[in-house]
Amino acid sequence: MALIKLVRTFAVMLPVVVVAFSARGADTVKLGLIEPFSGPIAAVGRDTLEIFEFFANEVNERGGVLGGRHIEIVPLDNAMNAEKTTQQLRKVIDDEIRFVSQGVGSNHALNIIKFLQRHNRRNPDQAILYLNHSAVTTSFTNELCSFWHFRFDANVDMKVAALVTQLGRDPSVQKLYMLNQNYAYGQAFQAAAQQMLGERAPGIELVGDELIVPFGKVLDFTPYIAKIKAAGADTVLTGNWGPDLVRFVKAASEANLDASFYTIYAGIPSSVAGIGAKDGIATRLKQVTEMHENDPLYDQQPAELLDTYDRWRQQTGKSIYSERMRWTIEFFAAALDKAGSDDPALVAAAMEGMTMDGPAGPLVMRGEDHQIIFPMVISTMAEDLERPYIYEGDNYEVAFATDGWIMSDAIELPTTCEMKRP
Amino acid sequence: MESFIFAMFNGVLYGMLLFLLASGLTLIFSMMGVLNFAHASFFMLGAYFAYQISEGLNFWAALIVAPVIVGMVGAGIERWGLRPVHRYGHVAELLFTFGVAYVIEELVQMIWGRVPVPYEIPDAMAGALFTWQGFDYSIYRVFMLVVSVAIFVALFALLTYTRIGLIIRAAVSDPTHVATLGHDIPRIFMWTFGFGCALAGVAGVVGGNVLGTEPAMAIQLGPIVFVVIVIGGLGSLGGALVAALIIGIVTRLAIFYDYGVGSLVLALGLEIDTTSMLRDFTRITTAQVAPVLPYLMLVLMLIFKPRGLFGTRDV
Repeated sequence: MALIKLVRTFAVMLPVVVVAFSARGADTVKLGLIEPFSGPIAAVGRDTLEIFEFFANEVNERGGVLGGRHIEIVPLDNAMNAEKTTQQLRKVIDDEIRFVSQGVGSNHALNIIKFLQRHNRRNPDQAILYLNHSAVTTSFTNELCSFWHFRFDANVDMKVAALVTQLGRDPSVQKLYMLNQNYAYGQAFQAAAQQMLGERAPGIELVGDELIVPFGKVLDFTPYIAKIKAAGADTVLTGNWGPDLVRFVKAASEANLDASFYTIYAGIPSSVAGIGAKDGIATRLKQVTEMHENDPLYDQQPAELLDTYDRWRQQTGKSIYSERMRWTIEFFAAALDKAGSDDPALVAAAMEGMTMDGPAGPLVMRGEDHQIIFPMVISTMAEDLERPYIYEGDNYEVAFATDGWIMSDAIELPTTCEMKRP
Repeated sequence: MESFIFAMFNGVLYGMLLFLLASGLTLIFSMMGVLNFAHASFFMLGAYFAYQISEGLNFWAALIVAPVIVGMVGAGIERWGLRPVHRYGHVAELLFTFGVAYVIEELVQMIWGRVPVPYEIPDAMAGALFTWQGFDYSIYRVFMLVVSVAIFVALFALLTYTRIGLIIRAAVSDPTHVATLGHDIPRIFMWTFGFGCALAGVAGVVGGNVLGTEPAMAIQLGPIVFVVIVIGGLGSLGGALVAALIIGIVTRLAIFYDYGVGSLVLALGLEIDTTSMLRDFTRITTAQVAPVLPYLMLVLMLIFKPRGLFGTRDV
């Protein structure tokens, strides 16, 4: 098994090398993907690259864009260092790549937005367009909004809106405890939840509201669990991700805390692996996503799409997790064709207001702030589902089952964006 | 009062886990003078080996076998890596162990992948042993406490009362004399290093399933282990125990008694100016800063008592 993993590691790394050195044909449309491909969270970057390459290839097999040109994904390693992200942007300029995508880490996204704002103003002939597939800081589509930035993921406020709406629907929720990471994202989650709880779930009593030191610094969550128990909470709402979520949930399960966990990021494959079926089910662990594989709507999607999913699973040994990355590629391809040009300004204009069919309703790229709007689904960890999580060939025997969909009208929030168009 | 005792008890549970983590490090340092930066990596190896063994056999086999393997790996690294470096002094040794930490992390990622492995608490010990203040303590938590105490007692007895302990301690202070008495000093050091790594392995077996077994665990745990041995006094086993307990209890108390800067201001009869530049400062509570307190203690200790609580040599 060890050997298989070793081979797999190299197999995953291979495209990075091959693509980096393959002939840069003039007739491809290049999309630079700036993510961590080395360092402790390289797995996230490599997963992202695999998804981008797979779905770009799907577009290419269908006949490509702009009458036969192919989309080429160019991986650019930032090693999770925001300064390196800026360096890679300079490389993007030198290599005459006109489109970039990134999503892991909002501080990186912020660097890109600010860098491109300046670069594109000074060099309108060499403008670069940024497709943000996962960085969720709300201000990117509010006060920091930019014509050159499009977001294909719901922002923190929208995700919290979906979670709080579901909390209001769930009659078993009486006493709620909030615990978040003490940095920009966790504070944004906390502030949004505090405001929306009053509006959308006024019957729920907030019995605790805590911030913790983020990024794995808390080794033992037992004292927090004891406080949650002492407060008599029946539900926990948390924006935690990574080890801060895994340890939190495991400690709750170990102490037999009788509470449901509402989260954003419980379904990230590495978190599912870390939490495991027993602790996830004991804590009635919930996530909010754009879709998941065991939703009743899954089978009602177009047949070609279901074929594509099957091929993805066979080829990569992984479940479908990030639909928003596929959407990024599909919107990109459609906007290129609609613009009839690979000029980033024309592509950006074409993308404004563009819509596509989603599993439960339309995906709308809102023109006024470049924020995508779509229905979201809340789901709870469960066993014995049709498609359990698979990751690199390992079967986790567990997945998520739908609690309910939150439609776009409950998620769409007003924006403060005052877009300056070139 | 009851909640105070409750917090103390939780602090002891957590502190003993920290001690278990730090015991091997302080042993290696006190006996060999080597500050092993890769210590947390041996802890990680212990957790991964335990996962692999408990998949094939069971937890109890892992508890015995995994530390032995980690100890052998450690001894091997000492014999063929650290020993040749030894003659170039402590900085070379330090850099060597620093490199070892990175190599182990990469190897672990190549073999077990970059996502966490499902290393779980054995089912037999997952149940609640007792309930206190509505909080269930699993059998496993208490088992961890028992293992930690047993390790401390055994180590203390070994070093203080046995012939092996006598020779090891003599070899540190006066290696040439011990060598002329016919003892093989390099071999003693090799097994001491291996034994220290094996202790990290034990901590990995016992703690890996609670803290989560993943490639980043060594990086996350490395700093706190050093804090424990510096506060306790480099090379002092008793100091490491006391420091671990203090860190455990102080952080627990900070979380339970959630006092904020703002409440202190109010208690002094002052009002909080919500427009002031310091308004964010008044929102800070002890619970928020609890995990950082050990590092604050480290800084204060280095300023006021650089040898630590029970240390006999300088940092």
